[in-house]
Amino acid sequence: MIGSNLYNSAPVPTLVPLGDSALLVRFGTALSNPANSAAIALASALHRDPPAGVLEIMPNLVSVLLRYDPDVTRAVALAGELRLRMAAVDGAAIAGKHWAIPVLFDGPDLAEVAETLGMSEAAFIAAHNQASLRVLSTGFAPGFVYCGLHAPELVLPRRAALRQSITAGSVLFAAGQTAIISTDMPTGWHVIGHTEFRNFDANATPPTRLRAGDLVQFETAP
Amino acid sequence: MSAIIAVLRAGPLTTIQDEGRFGMLRHGVSASGPMDLAAFHHAGCGGRGGIEITAAGLEFRVASGDCRIGFAGGEFKITIEGKPAQWPGSAELTAGTVVSITPGPSGNYGYVRFDADMAIEPVMGSIATNSRARIGGIAGRPLQVGDVVELTGQSTALPGLPPPAPVDGPLRIVWGLHADLFAPEIREKFVASPFVVSSRLDRMGVRLDDSQALFAHSTALSLVSDAIVPGDIQILGDGSPIVLMRDHQPTGGYPRIATLITADLGRFAQMRPGTVIAFRPVTVEHAQQLLRSRQS
Repeated sequence: MIGSNLYNSAPVPTLVPLGDSALLVRFGTALSNPANSAAIALASALHRDPPAGVLEIMPNLVSVLLRYDPDVTRAVALAGELRLRMAAVDGAAIAGKHWAIPVLFDGPDLAEVAETLGMSEAAFIAAHNQASLRVLSTGFAPGFVYCGLHAPELVLPRRAALRQSITAGSVLFAAGQTAIISTDMPTGWHVIGHTEFRNFDANATPPTRLRAGDLVQFETAP
Repeated sequence: MSAIIAVLRAGPLTTIQDEGRFGMLRHGVSASGPMDLAAFHHAGCGGRGGIEITAAGLEFRVASGDCRIGFAGGEFKITIEGKPAQWPGSAELTAGTVVSITPGPSGNYGYVRFDADMAIEPVMGSIATNSRARIGGIAGRPLQVGDVVELTGQSTALPGLPPPAPVDGPLRIVWGLHADLFAPEIREKFVASPFVVSSRLDRMGVRLDDSQALFAHSTALSLVSDAIVPGDIQILGDGSPIVLMRDHQPTGGYPRIATLITADLGRFAQMRPGTVIAFRPVTVEHAQQLLRSRQS
Protein backbone atom coordinates (compact mmCIF):
# COMPACT_ATOMS: atom_id res chain seq x y z
CA MET A 1 0.00 0.00 0.00
CA ILE A 2 1.21 3.50 -0.62
CA GLY A 3 0.96 6.36 1.81
CA SER A 4 -2.31 8.23 1.86
CA ASN A 5 -0.44 11.54 2.01
CA LEU A 6 0.23 11.11 -1.71
CA TYR A 7 -3.49 11.13 -2.30
CA ASN A 8 -4.48 14.12 -0.25
CA SER A 9 -7.93 13.12 0.95
CA ALA A 10 -8.28 10.09 -1.29
CA PRO A 11 -8.57 6.72 0.38
CA VAL A 12 -5.74 4.20 0.38
CA PRO A 13 -6.27 1.72 -2.44
CA THR A 14 -6.29 -2.03 -2.02
CA LEU A 15 -5.50 -4.49 -4.81
CA VAL A 16 -7.85 -7.44 -5.04
CA PRO A 17 -7.64 -10.29 -7.56
CA LEU A 18 -10.87 -10.84 -9.50
CA GLY A 19 -10.58 -14.41 -10.73
CA ASP A 20 -7.29 -15.47 -12.33
CA SER A 21 -7.07 -12.88 -15.12
CA ALA A 22 -8.07 -9.56 -13.56
CA LEU A 23 -7.07 -7.26 -10.75
CA LEU A 24 -9.26 -4.68 -9.05
CA VAL A 25 -7.79 -1.50 -7.56
CA ARG A 26 -10.34 -0.50 -4.94
CA PHE A 27 -10.46 2.92 -3.35
CA GLY A 28 -13.19 2.03 -0.90
CA THR A 29 -16.19 -0.16 -0.25
CA ALA A 30 -18.72 2.68 -0.25
CA LEU A 31 -19.39 5.38 -2.81
CA SER A 32 -17.73 8.73 -2.03
CA ASN A 33 -16.49 11.57 -4.20
CA PRO A 34 -12.80 11.07 -3.27
CA ALA A 35 -12.92 7.32 -3.97
CA ASN A 36 -14.71 7.90 -7.27
CA SER A 37 -12.29 10.64 -8.37
CA ALA A 38 -9.30 8.50 -7.50
CA ALA A 39 -10.68 5.59 -9.57
CA ILE A 40 -11.39 7.77 -12.61
CA ALA A 41 -8.01 9.50 -12.41
CA LEU A 42 -6.14 6.21 -12.15
CA ALA A 43 -8.09 4.68 -15.05
CA SER A 44 -7.36 7.61 -17.35
CA ALA A 45 -3.67 7.65 -16.41
CA LEU A 46 -3.45 3.91 -17.14
CA HIS A 47 -5.36 4.35 -20.42
CA ARG A 48 -2.71 6.78 -21.64
CA ASP A 49 0.07 4.32 -20.87
CA PRO A 50 -1.19 0.80 -20.16
CA PRO A 51 1.15 -1.46 -18.17
CA ALA A 52 2.54 -4.49 -20.04
CA GLY A 53 0.08 -7.37 -20.29
CA VAL A 54 -2.98 -5.26 -19.45
CA LEU A 55 -5.79 -5.96 -21.92
CA GLU A 56 -8.57 -3.72 -20.63
CA ILE A 57 -8.99 -0.91 -18.11
CA MET A 58 -12.44 -0.11 -16.77
CA PRO A 59 -13.21 2.47 -14.11
CA ASN A 60 -16.09 1.59 -11.78
CA LEU A 61 -17.78 3.64 -9.05
CA VAL A 62 -14.91 3.22 -6.54
CA SER A 63 -12.45 0.94 -8.33
CA VAL A 64 -10.54 0.22 -11.52
CA LEU A 65 -10.68 -3.18 -13.20
CA LEU A 66 -7.56 -4.34 -15.04
CA ARG A 67 -7.97 -7.41 -17.20
CA TYR A 68 -4.57 -8.85 -17.95
CA ASP A 69 -2.94 -11.72 -19.79
CA PRO A 70 -1.40 -14.03 -17.17
CA ASP A 71 1.02 -15.27 -19.84
CA VAL A 72 2.52 -11.79 -20.15
CA THR A 73 2.42 -10.46 -16.61
CA ARG A 74 2.05 -11.94 -13.16
CA ALA A 75 -0.38 -10.53 -10.63
CA VAL A 76 2.49 -9.71 -8.29
CA ALA A 77 4.45 -7.83 -10.96
CA LEU A 78 1.37 -5.93 -12.06
CA ALA A 79 0.50 -4.99 -8.49
CA GLY A 80 4.03 -3.65 -7.97
CA GLU A 81 3.83 -1.60 -11.16
CA LEU A 82 0.45 -0.21 -10.13
CA ARG A 83 1.69 0.87 -6.70
CA LEU A 84 4.45 2.86 -8.38
CA ARG A 85 2.07 4.41 -10.89
CA MET A 86 -0.55 5.32 -8.32
CA ALA A 87 1.89 7.54 -6.47
CA ALA A 88 1.92 9.85 -9.48
CA VAL A 89 -1.84 10.09 -10.04
CA ASP A 90 -3.68 13.22 -8.96
CA GLY A 91 -7.32 12.44 -8.24
CA ALA A 92 -8.28 16.11 -8.42
CA ALA A 93 -7.05 16.49 -11.99
CA ILE A 94 -9.82 14.91 -14.04
CA ALA A 95 -10.32 16.64 -17.38
CA GLY A 96 -13.79 15.61 -18.46
CA LYS A 97 -15.98 17.00 -21.22
CA HIS A 98 -18.98 19.18 -20.39
CA TRP A 99 -22.45 18.16 -21.54
CA ALA A 100 -25.88 19.79 -21.29
CA ILE A 101 -28.64 17.18 -21.27
CA PRO A 102 -32.28 18.26 -21.58
CA VAL A 103 -34.74 16.19 -19.55
CA LEU A 104 -38.52 16.17 -19.65
CA PHE A 105 -39.46 15.68 -15.99
CA ASP A 106 -42.56 13.58 -16.55
CA GLY A 107 -41.64 10.29 -14.87
CA PRO A 108 -44.17 8.19 -12.96
CA ASP A 109 -42.22 8.58 -9.71
CA LEU A 110 -41.59 12.33 -9.87
CA ALA A 111 -44.48 13.33 -7.59
CA GLU A 112 -43.60 10.72 -4.98
CA VAL A 113 -39.91 11.67 -5.03
CA ALA A 114 -40.69 15.36 -4.52
CA GLU A 115 -43.17 14.59 -1.76
CA THR A 116 -40.77 12.27 0.06
CA LEU A 117 -38.10 14.95 -0.05
CA GLY A 118 -40.63 17.51 1.25
CA MET A 119 -40.53 19.67 -1.85
CA SER A 120 -42.87 20.76 -4.60
CA GLU A 121 -42.15 19.16 -7.96
CA ALA A 122 -40.86 22.49 -9.29
CA ALA A 123 -38.53 22.90 -6.30
CA PHE A 124 -37.25 19.35 -6.71
CA ILE A 125 -36.54 19.88 -10.42
CA ALA A 126 -34.73 23.14 -9.68
CA ALA A 127 -32.66 21.48 -6.96
CA HIS A 128 -31.94 18.51 -9.20
CA ASN A 129 -30.67 20.72 -12.02
CA GLN A 130 -28.85 23.20 -9.84
CA ALA A 131 -25.32 21.80 -9.95
CA SER A 132 -23.44 19.95 -12.68
CA LEU A 133 -22.96 16.32 -11.86
CA ARG A 134 -20.01 14.11 -12.65
CA VAL A 135 -20.38 10.91 -14.64
CA LEU A 136 -19.39 8.62 -11.77
CA SER A 137 -19.34 5.42 -13.76
CA THR A 138 -20.53 3.65 -16.87
CA GLY A 139 -20.75 0.00 -17.82
CA PHE A 140 -23.71 -1.46 -15.91
CA ALA A 141 -25.57 -1.84 -19.22
CA PRO A 142 -24.93 -0.51 -22.76
CA GLY A 143 -24.65 3.28 -22.48
CA PHE A 144 -25.80 3.34 -18.86
CA VAL A 145 -24.38 6.24 -16.80
CA TYR A 146 -24.44 7.05 -13.10
CA CYS A 147 -24.20 10.80 -12.43
CA GLY A 148 -23.67 12.35 -9.01
CA LEU A 149 -23.36 12.97 -6.28
CA HIS A 150 -26.37 15.10 -5.37
CA ALA A 151 -26.41 17.19 -2.21
CA PRO A 152 -27.37 15.24 0.95
CA GLU A 153 -30.91 16.72 0.99
CA LEU A 154 -31.60 15.00 -2.35
CA VAL A 155 -30.54 11.52 -1.26
CA LEU A 156 -33.30 8.93 -1.44
CA PRO A 157 -33.13 5.13 -1.32
CA ARG A 158 -34.24 2.94 -4.20
CA ARG A 159 -37.86 1.84 -4.54
CA ALA A 160 -38.93 -1.32 -2.72
CA ALA A 161 -40.41 -2.80 -5.89
CA LEU A 162 -38.88 -3.29 -9.31
CA ARG A 163 -40.44 -1.69 -12.37
CA GLN A 164 -40.29 -4.39 -15.01
CA SER A 165 -39.42 -2.63 -18.24
CA ILE A 166 -38.32 0.95 -18.42
CA THR A 167 -37.64 2.35 -21.88
CA ALA A 168 -34.32 3.66 -23.18
CA GLY A 169 -33.89 7.36 -22.46
CA SER A 170 -35.51 7.14 -19.03
CA VAL A 171 -33.91 9.29 -16.35
CA LEU A 172 -33.62 7.53 -12.99
CA PHE A 173 -33.00 8.87 -9.51
CA ALA A 174 -31.83 7.15 -6.31
CA ALA A 175 -28.98 6.92 -3.81
CA GLY A 176 -27.79 10.48 -4.44
CA GLN A 177 -27.47 9.85 -8.16
CA THR A 178 -29.22 10.43 -11.46
CA ALA A 179 -28.86 7.70 -14.07
CA ILE A 180 -29.66 7.68 -17.78
CA ILE A 181 -30.47 4.38 -19.44
CA SER A 182 -29.87 3.73 -23.12
CA THR A 183 -31.48 0.29 -23.39
CA ASP A 184 -34.78 -1.01 -22.04
CA MET A 185 -34.35 -2.63 -18.63
CA PRO A 186 -36.02 -3.33 -15.30
CA THR A 187 -35.12 -0.94 -12.49
CA GLY A 188 -35.62 -0.38 -8.80
CA TRP A 189 -34.76 3.29 -9.17
CA HIS A 190 -37.31 6.13 -9.26
CA VAL A 191 -38.19 7.12 -12.81
CA ILE A 192 -38.30 10.93 -12.81
CA GLY A 193 -38.27 11.76 -16.52
CA HIS A 194 -36.87 11.03 -19.92
CA THR A 195 -34.39 12.47 -22.40
CA GLU A 196 -33.84 12.32 -26.13
CA PHE A 197 -30.12 11.95 -25.38
CA ARG A 198 -28.93 8.47 -26.31
CA ASN A 199 -25.61 7.28 -25.01
CA PHE A 200 -25.30 4.05 -26.96
CA ASP A 201 -24.92 3.36 -30.66
CA ALA A 202 -23.34 -0.02 -31.38
CA ASN A 203 -22.36 1.18 -34.86
CA ALA A 204 -20.55 4.31 -33.67
CA THR A 205 -16.89 4.48 -32.63
CA PRO A 206 -16.75 4.74 -29.71
CA PRO A 207 -20.23 3.31 -29.06
CA THR A 208 -20.88 5.59 -26.08
CA ARG A 209 -20.48 9.37 -25.75
CA LEU A 210 -20.26 9.99 -22.01
CA ARG A 211 -17.16 8.91 -20.15
CA ALA A 212 -16.53 8.59 -16.45
CA GLY A 213 -15.31 12.00 -15.26
CA ASP A 214 -17.36 14.05 -17.74
CA LEU A 215 -19.56 16.79 -16.29
CA VAL A 216 -23.29 16.78 -17.00
CA GLN A 217 -25.62 19.76 -16.56
CA PHE A 218 -29.22 18.55 -16.57
CA GLU A 219 -31.72 21.06 -17.98
CA THR A 220 -35.48 21.06 -18.18
CA ALA A 221 -36.45 20.28 -21.77
CA PRO A 222 -38.71 22.90 -23.33
CA MET B 1 -14.16 -20.87 -52.11
CA SER B 2 -17.47 -19.84 -50.71
CA ALA B 3 -20.68 -21.40 -49.61
CA ILE B 4 -24.11 -20.50 -48.31
CA ILE B 5 -25.52 -22.20 -45.25
CA ALA B 6 -29.30 -22.22 -44.74
CA VAL B 7 -30.65 -22.93 -41.26
CA LEU B 8 -33.45 -25.55 -41.31
CA ARG B 9 -33.87 -25.96 -37.54
CA ALA B 10 -32.31 -24.13 -34.60
CA GLY B 11 -32.90 -24.30 -30.87
CA PRO B 12 -33.90 -21.04 -29.18
CA LEU B 13 -30.39 -20.34 -27.86
CA THR B 14 -28.33 -21.21 -30.95
CA THR B 15 -25.95 -18.31 -31.49
CA ILE B 16 -23.12 -17.17 -33.70
CA GLN B 17 -19.93 -16.68 -31.65
CA ASP B 18 -16.31 -15.77 -32.17
CA GLU B 19 -13.60 -15.55 -29.49
CA GLY B 20 -15.38 -12.56 -27.97
CA ARG B 21 -15.89 -8.81 -28.03
CA PHE B 22 -13.17 -7.65 -25.67
CA GLY B 23 -12.47 -4.13 -24.49
CA MET B 24 -16.07 -2.93 -24.38
CA LEU B 25 -16.86 -3.25 -20.66
CA ARG B 26 -16.90 0.51 -20.06
CA HIS B 27 -19.50 0.83 -22.80
CA GLY B 28 -21.64 -1.66 -20.89
CA VAL B 29 -21.03 -4.70 -23.07
CA SER B 30 -19.43 -7.91 -21.79
CA ALA B 31 -17.26 -9.99 -24.10
CA SER B 32 -19.57 -12.95 -24.85
CA GLY B 33 -17.76 -15.63 -26.86
CA PRO B 34 -18.06 -19.41 -26.59
CA MET B 35 -19.43 -20.86 -23.35
CA ASP B 36 -16.82 -23.63 -23.78
CA LEU B 37 -13.84 -21.94 -25.40
CA ALA B 38 -11.69 -25.10 -25.50
CA ALA B 39 -14.44 -26.92 -27.40
CA PHE B 40 -14.73 -24.00 -29.83
CA HIS B 41 -10.99 -24.32 -30.51
CA HIS B 42 -11.20 -28.11 -30.63
CA ALA B 43 -13.76 -27.88 -33.46
CA GLY B 44 -11.00 -26.47 -35.66
CA CYS B 45 -11.48 -25.02 -39.17
CA GLY B 46 -9.94 -21.60 -38.92
CA GLY B 47 -12.68 -19.44 -40.42
CA ARG B 48 -13.93 -16.52 -38.34
CA GLY B 49 -16.82 -17.41 -36.09
CA GLY B 50 -18.80 -20.52 -35.45
CA ILE B 51 -22.24 -21.67 -34.40
CA GLU B 52 -22.84 -22.47 -30.75
CA ILE B 53 -25.44 -25.21 -30.49
CA THR B 54 -27.48 -25.87 -27.37
CA ALA B 55 -29.30 -28.98 -26.23
CA ALA B 56 -32.02 -28.17 -28.76
CA GLY B 57 -29.72 -28.98 -31.69
CA LEU B 58 -29.33 -27.60 -35.20
CA GLU B 59 -30.06 -28.59 -38.77
CA PHE B 60 -28.70 -26.82 -41.83
CA ARG B 61 -28.28 -27.32 -45.53
CA VAL B 62 -25.46 -26.18 -47.76
CA ALA B 63 -27.56 -24.06 -50.13
CA SER B 64 -24.67 -23.54 -52.53
CA GLY B 65 -20.93 -24.02 -52.80
CA ASP B 66 -18.90 -26.37 -50.68
CA CYS B 67 -17.04 -26.15 -47.43
CA ARG B 68 -15.34 -28.10 -44.71
CA ILE B 69 -16.79 -28.13 -41.20
CA GLY B 70 -15.35 -29.09 -37.84
CA PHE B 71 -17.52 -29.90 -34.83
CA ALA B 72 -16.88 -30.48 -31.14
CA GLY B 73 -18.16 -29.77 -27.64
CA GLY B 74 -20.15 -32.01 -25.34
CA GLU B 75 -21.47 -35.24 -26.84
CA PHE B 76 -23.91 -34.47 -29.63
CA LYS B 77 -25.20 -36.74 -32.38
CA ILE B 78 -24.51 -35.64 -35.93
CA THR B 79 -25.78 -36.99 -39.22
CA ILE B 80 -24.58 -35.85 -42.63
CA GLU B 81 -27.10 -36.65 -45.38
CA GLY B 82 -28.73 -38.96 -42.88
CA LYS B 83 -25.56 -40.92 -42.15
CA PRO B 84 -24.24 -40.82 -38.58
CA ALA B 85 -20.74 -39.39 -38.18
CA GLN B 86 -18.31 -39.34 -35.29
CA TRP B 87 -18.60 -36.43 -32.81
CA PRO B 88 -16.22 -34.59 -32.51
CA GLY B 89 -14.99 -34.64 -36.07
CA SER B 90 -14.93 -32.90 -39.40
CA ALA B 91 -16.46 -33.34 -42.83
CA GLU B 92 -16.36 -32.03 -46.40
CA LEU B 93 -19.77 -30.74 -47.47
CA THR B 94 -21.04 -30.08 -50.98
CA ALA B 95 -24.04 -28.17 -52.23
CA GLY B 96 -27.29 -29.69 -51.04
CA THR B 97 -25.82 -31.57 -48.07
CA VAL B 98 -28.02 -31.56 -44.97
CA VAL B 99 -26.35 -31.70 -41.56
CA SER B 100 -28.46 -32.54 -38.51
CA ILE B 101 -27.22 -32.26 -34.94
CA THR B 102 -29.21 -33.51 -31.97
CA PRO B 103 -28.38 -33.77 -28.28
CA GLY B 104 -26.37 -36.72 -27.04
CA PRO B 105 -25.71 -38.14 -23.60
CA SER B 106 -23.90 -35.14 -22.12
CA GLY B 107 -23.01 -31.51 -22.51
CA ASN B 108 -24.92 -28.30 -23.12
CA TYR B 109 -22.90 -26.63 -25.88
CA GLY B 110 -21.54 -27.86 -29.19
CA TYR B 111 -19.77 -25.93 -31.94
CA VAL B 112 -19.78 -26.06 -35.71
CA ARG B 113 -17.02 -24.16 -37.45
CA PHE B 114 -16.10 -23.65 -41.08
CA ASP B 115 -12.96 -23.34 -43.21
CA ALA B 116 -14.12 -19.90 -44.39
CA ASP B 117 -15.21 -16.75 -42.57
CA MET B 118 -18.85 -16.27 -41.65
CA ALA B 119 -19.82 -13.15 -43.62
CA ILE B 120 -21.42 -11.35 -40.68
CA GLU B 121 -20.83 -7.63 -40.19
CA PRO B 122 -18.87 -7.19 -36.95
CA VAL B 123 -20.49 -4.99 -34.31
CA MET B 124 -18.03 -3.26 -31.98
CA GLY B 125 -15.29 -5.40 -33.48
CA SER B 126 -16.86 -8.84 -33.13
CA ILE B 127 -19.55 -11.07 -34.58
CA ALA B 128 -20.24 -12.76 -31.22
CA THR B 129 -23.91 -12.66 -30.29
CA ASN B 130 -24.46 -10.97 -26.92
CA SER B 131 -27.85 -12.08 -25.63
CA ARG B 132 -27.94 -9.33 -23.01
CA ALA B 133 -26.99 -6.35 -25.21
CA ARG B 134 -28.68 -7.92 -28.26
CA ILE B 135 -25.82 -7.20 -30.61
CA GLY B 136 -23.70 -9.38 -32.89
CA GLY B 137 -24.63 -12.45 -34.92
CA ILE B 138 -27.70 -11.85 -37.07
CA ALA B 139 -29.47 -8.73 -35.76
CA GLY B 140 -28.30 -9.49 -32.22
CA ARG B 141 -30.56 -12.52 -31.90
CA PRO B 142 -30.18 -16.31 -31.85
CA LEU B 143 -30.26 -18.15 -35.17
CA GLN B 144 -33.67 -19.17 -36.44
CA VAL B 145 -35.21 -21.18 -39.24
CA GLY B 146 -34.73 -19.42 -42.56
CA ASP B 147 -31.49 -17.67 -41.64
CA VAL B 148 -28.84 -17.78 -44.31
CA VAL B 149 -25.14 -17.37 -43.56
CA GLU B 150 -22.62 -16.79 -46.30
CA LEU B 151 -19.10 -18.14 -45.98
CA THR B 152 -16.41 -16.14 -47.71
CA GLY B 153 -12.69 -16.23 -48.20
CA GLN B 154 -10.48 -19.15 -47.52
CA SER B 155 -8.75 -19.74 -44.29
CA THR B 156 -6.24 -22.43 -43.68
CA ALA B 157 -8.35 -25.44 -42.82
CA LEU B 158 -6.82 -25.68 -39.38
CA PRO B 159 -7.16 -28.98 -37.63
CA GLY B 160 -8.88 -28.67 -34.30
CA LEU B 161 -6.80 -28.10 -31.23
CA PRO B 162 -6.59 -31.23 -29.14
CA PRO B 163 -9.19 -31.29 -26.41
CA PRO B 164 -7.91 -30.50 -22.94
CA ALA B 165 -7.31 -33.55 -20.81
CA PRO B 166 -10.56 -34.40 -19.08
CA VAL B 167 -10.73 -33.09 -15.54
CA ASP B 168 -12.91 -34.55 -12.82
CA GLY B 169 -13.38 -33.56 -9.27
CA PRO B 170 -14.41 -30.32 -7.66
CA LEU B 171 -14.69 -27.11 -9.64
CA ARG B 172 -11.84 -24.88 -8.65
CA ILE B 173 -12.42 -21.37 -7.36
CA VAL B 174 -10.45 -18.44 -6.09
CA TRP B 175 -12.09 -16.50 -3.28
CA GLY B 176 -14.16 -13.60 -4.57
CA LEU B 177 -14.34 -9.86 -4.19
CA HIS B 178 -16.65 -10.05 -1.18
CA ALA B 179 -15.43 -13.31 0.38
CA ASP B 180 -14.46 -11.43 3.54
CA LEU B 181 -18.09 -10.40 4.05
CA PHE B 182 -19.11 -14.03 4.52
CA ALA B 183 -18.55 -15.59 7.95
CA PRO B 184 -15.70 -18.15 8.05
CA GLU B 185 -18.16 -20.97 8.79
CA ILE B 186 -20.21 -20.05 5.71
CA ARG B 187 -17.08 -20.13 3.56
CA GLU B 188 -16.11 -23.49 5.04
CA LYS B 189 -19.55 -24.88 4.26
CA PHE B 190 -19.43 -23.39 0.77
CA VAL B 191 -16.45 -25.58 -0.12
CA ALA B 192 -17.67 -28.59 1.88
CA SER B 193 -21.23 -28.74 0.51
CA PRO B 194 -22.63 -30.12 -2.71
CA PHE B 195 -24.59 -27.81 -5.00
CA VAL B 196 -26.72 -28.81 -7.97
CA VAL B 197 -26.80 -27.18 -11.40
CA SER B 198 -30.38 -25.95 -11.77
CA SER B 199 -32.46 -25.77 -14.93
CA ARG B 200 -32.24 -21.98 -14.85
CA LEU B 201 -29.18 -21.53 -17.01
CA ASP B 202 -28.30 -19.49 -20.05
CA ARG B 203 -25.38 -17.54 -21.49
CA MET B 204 -25.70 -14.91 -18.75
CA GLY B 205 -25.56 -17.21 -15.75
CA VAL B 206 -26.21 -20.59 -14.19
CA ARG B 207 -28.28 -20.76 -11.02
CA LEU B 208 -27.33 -23.37 -8.47
CA ASP B 209 -29.73 -25.26 -6.23
CA ASP B 210 -28.56 -25.20 -2.68
CA SER B 211 -30.51 -27.76 -0.65
CA GLN B 212 -28.84 -26.63 2.57
CA ALA B 213 -29.97 -23.04 2.01
CA LEU B 214 -26.49 -21.98 3.03
CA PHE B 215 -27.09 -18.33 2.26
CA ALA B 216 -30.74 -18.12 3.32
CA HIS B 217 -29.86 -16.13 6.41
CA SER B 218 -27.21 -13.91 4.86
CA THR B 219 -28.01 -10.33 5.64
CA ALA B 220 -29.07 -8.42 2.58
CA LEU B 221 -26.04 -6.26 2.04
CA SER B 222 -26.00 -2.93 0.33
CA LEU B 223 -22.84 -3.03 -1.73
CA VAL B 224 -21.37 -0.52 -4.11
CA SER B 225 -21.68 -1.82 -7.65
CA ASP B 226 -18.39 -3.22 -8.94
CA ALA B 227 -16.82 -5.02 -11.92
CA ILE B 228 -17.85 -8.60 -12.70
CA VAL B 229 -15.75 -11.24 -14.47
CA PRO B 230 -16.98 -14.53 -15.99
CA GLY B 231 -17.10 -17.23 -13.34
CA ASP B 232 -18.05 -14.89 -10.50
CA ILE B 233 -20.36 -16.66 -8.06
CA GLN B 234 -22.80 -14.15 -6.68
CA ILE B 235 -25.42 -14.64 -4.02
CA LEU B 236 -28.76 -13.13 -5.01
CA GLY B 237 -31.11 -11.37 -2.61
CA ASP B 238 -33.08 -14.60 -2.01
CA GLY B 239 -29.89 -16.46 -1.06
CA SER B 240 -29.52 -18.43 -4.29
CA PRO B 241 -26.04 -18.67 -5.82
CA ILE B 242 -25.59 -17.92 -9.51
CA VAL B 243 -22.42 -18.42 -11.54
CA LEU B 244 -22.09 -15.56 -14.02
CA MET B 245 -21.13 -16.65 -17.52
CA ARG B 246 -20.01 -15.12 -20.84
CA ASP B 247 -22.93 -12.71 -21.32
CA HIS B 248 -22.70 -11.44 -17.73
CA GLN B 249 -23.61 -7.90 -16.85
CA PRO B 250 -20.37 -5.89 -16.67
CA THR B 251 -21.02 -4.63 -13.13
CA GLY B 252 -23.20 -5.72 -10.25
CA GLY B 253 -24.03 -5.09 -6.63
CA TYR B 254 -24.73 -8.55 -5.21
CA PRO B 255 -22.06 -10.10 -2.98
CA ARG B 256 -19.66 -12.45 -4.74
CA ILE B 257 -18.15 -15.17 -2.60
CA ALA B 258 -15.84 -16.76 -5.17
CA THR B 259 -14.82 -16.89 -8.83
CA LEU B 260 -14.64 -20.08 -10.85
CA ILE B 261 -11.17 -20.31 -12.41
CA THR B 262 -10.87 -19.79 -16.16
CA ALA B 263 -9.58 -23.35 -16.75
CA ASP B 264 -12.83 -24.78 -15.29
CA LEU B 265 -15.33 -22.40 -16.90
CA GLY B 266 -15.96 -24.51 -20.01
CA ARG B 267 -16.22 -27.74 -18.02
CA PHE B 268 -18.81 -26.09 -15.78
CA ALA B 269 -20.74 -24.67 -18.77
CA GLN B 270 -21.18 -28.22 -20.12
CA MET B 271 -22.76 -29.53 -16.91
CA ARG B 272 -26.41 -30.32 -17.33
CA PRO B 273 -29.18 -29.47 -14.85
CA GLY B 274 -29.11 -31.97 -12.01
CA THR B 275 -25.32 -32.33 -11.98
CA VAL B 276 -24.01 -32.36 -8.42
CA ILE B 277 -20.98 -30.11 -8.03
CA ALA B 278 -18.53 -29.10 -5.33
CA PHE B 279 -16.03 -26.28 -5.10
CA ARG B 280 -12.38 -26.34 -4.09
CA PRO B 281 -10.37 -23.18 -3.42
CA VAL B 282 -7.02 -22.73 -5.16
CA THR B 283 -4.61 -19.81 -5.33
CA VAL B 284 -4.58 -17.35 -8.22
CA GLU B 285 -1.08 -18.60 -9.09
CA HIS B 286 -2.30 -22.20 -9.31
CA ALA B 287 -5.26 -21.16 -11.47
CA GLN B 288 -2.86 -19.37 -13.82
CA GLN B 289 -0.56 -22.41 -14.01
CA LEU B 290 -3.54 -24.56 -14.99
CA LEU B 291 -4.45 -22.03 -17.67
CA ARG B 292 -0.93 -22.04 -19.09
CA SER B 293 -0.63 -25.83 -19.08
CA ARG B 294 -3.91 -26.08 -20.99
CA GLN B 295 -2.83 -23.58 -23.62
CA SER B 296 0.56 -25.14 -24.27
